[in-house]
Amino acid sequence: MIFSAVPIRAVDLIGSVLMILFPFLCLRLVRQIRERNPNNVIWTYLLWVCYALAVFAISRSLGHILKQILMLAGYDAAWDIIRPLSGAINTLTFSVVAAITLFFERSWHIYQQILRDQQALKTAHRELLYMNQNLEQLVETRTRALAHSEKQMAQADKLASIGQLSAGVAHEINNPLGIILGYTQLLLRNESPDSERCNDLRTIEKHVRNCKSIVERLLNFSRSSKPKKEMVRVHEVIDDVLNFIKHQSNLDHIDIEKDYDPKLPPMLLDEKKIRQVLVNLFMNARHSVSSTGGSIILSTRFDAENHAAEIRIRDTGYGIEQKNLSRIFDPFFTTKPTGEGTGLWLSVSYGIIKNHGGDISVESEPGKGSAFTIMLPVVTEYEEIG
Amino acid sequence: MSHRDNKKFQMAFSRILQHLALAWMFLNAGPAFATQGHGAPEGLYVHQIAHMFFALSMGILIYWLRKRDLVREIGWRYIQYSALFFILWNFDAFFVHLLEEQLQIIQVSRVGPWHIRIQTPHDFEWLRELYYLAKLDHLLCVPALSFLYAGMRCLLKESDANASGSTLP
Repeated sequence: MIFSAVPIRAVDLIGSVLMILFPFLCLRLVRQIRERNPNNVIWTYLLWVCYALAVFAISRSLGHILKQILMLAGYDAAWDIIRPLSGAINTLTFSVVAAITLFFERSWHIYQQILRDQQALKTAHRELLYMNQNLEQLVETRTRALAHSEKQMAQADKLASIGQLSAGVAHEINNPLGIILGYTQLLLRNESPDSERCNDLRTIEKHVRNCKSIVERLLNFSRSSKPKKEMVRVHEVIDDVLNFIKHQSNLDHIDIEKDYDPKLPPMLLDEKKIRQVLVNLFMNARHSVSSTGGSIILSTRFDAENHAAEIRIRDTGYGIEQKNLSRIFDPFFTTKPTGEGTGLWLSVSYGIIKNHGGDISVESEPGKGSAFTIMLPVVTEYEEIG
Repeated sequence: MSHRDNKKFQMAFSRILQHLALAWMFLNAGPAFATQGHGAPEGLYVHQIAHMFFALSMGILIYWLRKRDLVREIGWRYIQYSALFFILWNFDAFFVHLLEEQLQIIQVSRVGPWHIRIQTPHDFEWLRELYYLAKLDHLLCVPALSFLYAGMRCLLKESDANASGSTLP
């Protein structure tokens, strides 16, 4: 069957010219891209691909053009001589293109690695620069933090020792107090209520009960009793405590602000004891702002990352002197006049929070107010069982 | 003859035999055929394998471009199309070489300067038109290069648009 050779020749000739043209245009573009970012290994890779393609295109297209010219001129025999050489060069050149193309993944990997290293270097450089510029300040901050944590550790050690001592003393005193109270109540049964002896016995009973409550608080401080935990919504407990205090004492001239974190989940706590801690801290804050007026700010925050809840009670009262800060949780330490406070409530609060696996701390500036911060681990019922 | 003399005689005799054997080997040497000969079909085989290798490498390039999600960018997408056309061109060229030279099903002869005669065995007449179309292989390799050019242009534009100079994700 006879076909026209024109389309084949035309496509071959025009195609061959374009085949030479395009790789050089590509080369020009890649060189321009590479000039803008000479360190980018991907552009270097593309440059090599284009070089190989250009060599392939020249060898192939020149061969094709030569073939058409020789055949049109009737020199078929000449083409038969050149043909194997042209074919061999073609094979070699497009094998090189294929081989270079296979390096794309490696080049890409190297490029990504360089980018990561560059980023890490930049970050390190920035950090170094920052440290250089703020060295003194950083050392000072670290030193302060270290001193603070040393102080906290010393205080925790001291409180632990006092707790041990208190527990021992309380246990020893508790039994004789029980016996005294028992005998006093026995004697009271046989006395007529109006007799002088009966009044004396009632006085003894009252003071023994006082002693017993002090011993109980000491035992709470020394964390000898295990908390009875249940699921508790902390915000509800804080609101209950606030209502209770509003009923008990006058809060008219005190501004109360609440800043609750809605993300705070229910927690496994001994509700009674946590309530007691909140009452203690709130009463302290109220006492601090009662004379001058001011505000009490109650805030909560949920730290999801560390599974911890923060309860903060801050007042704008007269604050605590620096010298007293380290002794604030010591049993029987009080700045109130004799007879107004036992100095046990903050110790008891400390014991309760520690018994829950949490921490309590205080920050204060005389004249500006104090802030008590309670950190409690957020334990759900499931985790506790697990 | 003492025992020692006897031993000396045996050693001299064995040396003479060794030299004679060596001399015989040199005098009777034939062609060793140590180097393999390469006939005409090997070139064709190498060429065909190179076409498949080229197609495979382009396929691998497409795979990596897609795996690294680079084809989301228009420049790399054009380069992907270029690789696809190169694959098609390689298959086309492989097919033409197979018909023309390897299987020798097709015979082409010139009929004047502007016509050609395509001959096939009786059972393969349908191949003539297909062969004629396949001969127009520039219709595949020129688009491949034009897509490569378009891809490079886009990468250059993005490079210009990007102040940092890198257009890569």
